[in-house]
Amino acid sequence: MAVSTVYTVQIQSLNSISTPSKSHLGLNQLFYSSGKKTRRATHISCSADNDKTVVIGLAADSGCGKSTFMRRLTSVFGGAAEPPKGGNPDSNTLISDMTTVICLDDYHSLDRNGRKEKGVTALDPKANDFDLMYEQVKAVKEGIAVEKPIYNHVTGLLDPPELIKPPKIFVIEGLHPMYDARVRELLDFSIYLDISPEVKFAWKIQRDMAERGHSLESIKASIEARKPDFDAYIDPQKQYADAVIEVLPTQLIPDDEGKVLRVRLIMKEGVKYFNPVYLFDEGSTISWVPCGRKLTCSYPGIKFAYGPETYFGHEVSVLEMDGQFDRLDELIYVESHLSNISTKFYGEVTQQMLKHADFPGSNNGTGLFQTIIGLKIRDLYEQIVTSKVAAPLEATKA
Amino acid sequence: MAAIAGVSITTSKVFARASVRSSKPSPIKLSLLNSPWKSCTTHLRMYVRPLAAAPDKLSDKVEESIKNAQEACSEDPVSGECAAAWDEVEELSAAASHARDKSKDSDPLENYCKDNPETDECRTYDN
Repeated sequence: MAVSTVYTVQIQSLNSISTPSKSHLGLNQLFYSSGKKTRRATHISCSADNDKTVVIGLAADSGCGKSTFMRRLTSVFGGAAEPPKGGNPDSNTLISDMTTVICLDDYHSLDRNGRKEKGVTALDPKANDFDLMYEQVKAVKEGIAVEKPIYNHVTGLLDPPELIKPPKIFVIEGLHPMYDARVRELLDFSIYLDISPEVKFAWKIQRDMAERGHSLESIKASIEARKPDFDAYIDPQKQYADAVIEVLPTQLIPDDEGKVLRVRLIMKEGVKYFNPVYLFDEGSTISWVPCGRKLTCSYPGIKFAYGPETYFGHEVSVLEMDGQFDRLDELIYVESHLSNISTKFYGEVTQQMLKHADFPGSNNGTGLFQTIIGLKIRDLYEQIVTSKVAAPLEATKA
Repeated sequence: MAAIAGVSITTSKVFARASVRSSKPSPIKLSLLNSPWKSCTTHLRMYVRPLAAAPDKLSDKVEESIKNAQEACSEDPVSGECAAAWDEVEELSAAASHARDKSKDSDPLENYCKDNPETDECRTYDN
């Protein structure tokens, strides 16, 4: 039942062309190589089944926990995600059985020297090739392999491309997954990690203070210098996200060091295949302190909140956790009171959190909500696959 | 200032591991942040690992980029060059941090034990 279509498209682009490829029957490829002003892309698409790739977008600033989130997400699908075998050791891609995660820095149109010359940051859309990003994400979504460039974070140069084959779940993570309207359209689900300035500062101190040459002043200067571009190009993307994880300082105690966190999971209503998580009663407004007679918590305790809100004009449900888990029974107790978390067995959230207890945030709302979003994405994927199987069946009946 | 904070971060990491052995976790200690439930599975194998430094090449680059950024901004603190220079610092700092994480993962003993969990040097004991 293999149907083969061969078609050619002409695409205007800054510095990429595609060389018409040798056609491998049964292997869908779209080749790009750099150098000339136009490119001709030959799609050879021979699909034996209707498997389409589900595309997930994850946006956040540099150093705000995208890698940790990706490790939690790929873990939910089973199997460890690893860099492509035998490829460029500086590749930014992670591959597991089900998922492929690519870093959108690979679509930088200006390398480090180019940005320096022009005086633009990587946050600036001018430093990124959204045409190529769109073309390639679209191709992968349609089941066509692509030769994606590699941005080398060590050298600051664009390395020779690597082959990305269409996975079941394709995650694009980086600074701009929801910036370009065409790319946004391709996303089946999108997440934005919204880290408050206080927490961002604390996290970067943790990350960088041990590094030679860094000081509180340099960390602060770097955040401040990047802020105008961050506010202009990165932050506005959160209005398009299906789920936003907001990370704020605690309100339980005065805490200047960002050790205790208040984390809010903002979930858009009416997103296909995504039913927001709720606490006790869907749609009500609830404040919940699980610590009491049945559960003893360590200082400063844990506080939950849940309720409907409006976010950039959209109806959303917000689940909030302030404080941290110090003991296992606290997490189990909380999990058993949440609904719609898309687990396959009782205690799956707890099991996932325990499995990665060494990841940052495993004892607070960041780890909890990242794990839950991972489970929701698995659920979304399964619903999409089921609906695809069902659709042709119905067509046959009719 | 930088050196002091660096030491304190390293120490807290060591404590986090060390606290695995103490059975009574006192509430709200930074030491618990990294391994909240480690006390359930006590391993006898020593687990203290120093904070691995980023590969020297990257560390040099981070240090150099900070100097460059300070220079670029001394002329005009709101210029594109200044922002681009500090953006380079961020990019290199993130790369250095990722490199540290990677080298943490590539502990030779851990890798060996993944494949040979039954050998004497990889055996772990529960209390």
